[in-house]
Amino acid sequence: MQPKKKRKGNTSLIFTNKMYVFLIPALAMFLVFWIYPVLQLFYYSITNFNGINYDYEFVGLKNYAKVLSNGTLSNSLKNTMIYAVFTVVLSNVIGMAVAMALNTRIRFKGLFRTCAYFPALFSAIVVGFIWSYVYMPGAGMIGNLLTLIGLDGSAFNPLGNYKTALYAIAIVEIWKGFGTTMIIYLAGLQTVDESLLEAGRIDGCTEWQLIRKIKLPLISATVTINVILSVIAGLKAFDYSFIMTNGGPGKSTKTLMFQVYETAFTDMKMGRASAFSVMAFAFIIIITVLMLFYLNKREVEL
Amino acid sequence: MALGKKKDDREVQTYMKTSPKTILLYVVIILFCIVVISPLVIVFSSSLRSPENQTSPLALFIEFTGVSYIRAFSNMNYPMQLINSIMTTVGSVLCIVVFATMAAYPIGRIKTKLARFLYFFFISGLIIPSQMVIVPIAQTLNRLGVPNTRFTPMIMFITCSLPFSVFLFSGFMKGLPVEIEESAYIDGASLPKRFTSIVFPLLQPAIISCVITQGLWIWNDYFYPMVFITKKAQYSLPVGMLQFLGDKENPAQWNVLFAACVLCALPLIIVFLALQKQFVNGIAAGAVKG
Repeated sequence: MQPKKKRKGNTSLIFTNKMYVFLIPALAMFLVFWIYPVLQLFYYSITNFNGINYDYEFVGLKNYAKVLSNGTLSNSLKNTMIYAVFTVVLSNVIGMAVAMALNTRIRFKGLFRTCAYFPALFSAIVVGFIWSYVYMPGAGMIGNLLTLIGLDGSAFNPLGNYKTALYAIAIVEIWKGFGTTMIIYLAGLQTVDESLLEAGRIDGCTEWQLIRKIKLPLISATVTINVILSVIAGLKAFDYSFIMTNGGPGKSTKTLMFQVYETAFTDMKMGRASAFSVMAFAFIIIITVLMLFYLNKREVEL
Repeated sequence: MALGKKKDDREVQTYMKTSPKTILLYVVIILFCIVVISPLVIVFSSSLRSPENQTSPLALFIEFTGVSYIRAFSNMNYPMQLINSIMTTVGSVLCIVVFATMAAYPIGRIKTKLARFLYFFFISGLIIPSQMVIVPIAQTLNRLGVPNTRFTPMIMFITCSLPFSVFLFSGFMKGLPVEIEESAYIDGASLPKRFTSIVFPLLQPAIISCVITQGLWIWNDYFYPMVFITKKAQYSLPVGMLQFLGDKENPAQWNVLFAACVLCALPLIIVFLALQKQFVNGIAAGAVKG
């Protein structure tokens, strides 16, 4: 009796459980090539597997202890957090500001939008090459410009300084990413009802008040989606550490994913890389859940 | 306000009037665009020089020759890599659209806890980075006997795209009316028939969005091909660029390197300029609808 009763409330005559057949190809691929490998990480994390030789032994929690004690986890956690916060804040602020500027009745809107979005078309590897030139001390674009205005262009070396390298590659990510953010904000802003803004103007609102009290609350769903997308991208940071700095100078641009890659492929310590991944994964889940709770709450309040 | 007027008239009439404030806005936007675009302009201008021309790249467009392009073209084995890139991207995107729309059909239509669980199950895949699971994935492929060919990365492109695509399609599906399907059911249409002739065509805006966002990502991705492809003849364009990795800090190689960068990006730039409107709408719809 129980299942029949339940079914009556939940499935309709047309949308029967037979439809689940449609799920099979996607679910099979997702389980075999995504979920199963993730579960395997837990298994490998208690072995001394090197990625090639299957004669591995179980070492218990040694890998976890090693990762925690040699400082690689805390270092790359710190780097990833700085990178993620920096890119999330700046690409959203710049993306939103440009979107608001372009959402006015301005001429050449399409041309400006294309300019802002253009960097998003390039592969990370091409972007990495271009910015390696831009940042090159002396002969690079910024160094050259500094020399032209009479400063010492060869002293400008953002990628060679362990204090600035992480921010330098974060700027590259922002350059490539803010255009996409902007396009999503533009779409959100276009849903704002013009008559509300008109009413605000009649009531004597300043431009800033219109933004803060009318536009922002109305596009809060767009803010949420943009922040989520850029946080996910920020936590996955890998490309520019890999292409431009190779983790250096020192270990200043080693992000979580760069560290995982290096431990697994360069150091050939798959067991340790798995333990690292498990902890990195736990961290990513915690951040994502906290963020979803916070943003959902905020969206209602605004 | 101007309700009966045609859209064209209204657009012409409502540009902002010239005032100090609007001029300032233009100046700020133009300066900003110049800052954003300048690296690309310099790269393009340098790529048009001969490889031996070592003047500062800041001197824009002082020489026009195709020598650097010819050298980059042959170094990259461009036609081969271009074909590989096209095949990988088109093949992956086609599979994604078919698999993800199919998966989204029950998830978007059935209203049970199981369907809801599957929805979140797929979305949870979004937060897993590829670098983290690449070794177990390689082993899984190995054990299944999948050889390393130019098609191996496609398996991973399809899998990695599923979370976002299923999210996009099932979100879109919830907004589609069920009445058409109900009448088709009464007329005796089978389940596959309903999917192929009613639901799939109605999903078209979401499909365009999926093709553009996922196609852009797959075309530009170098990570999976880098791990799975060992033969040079099977490289796609971004992986082929990795051979220039040593040249990025060598000013003597810049002109050829930049020509290679332009060649690598060119196909996508052409597609973008031809389909600009679809790109902009597709990217926005992908994020806003979901």
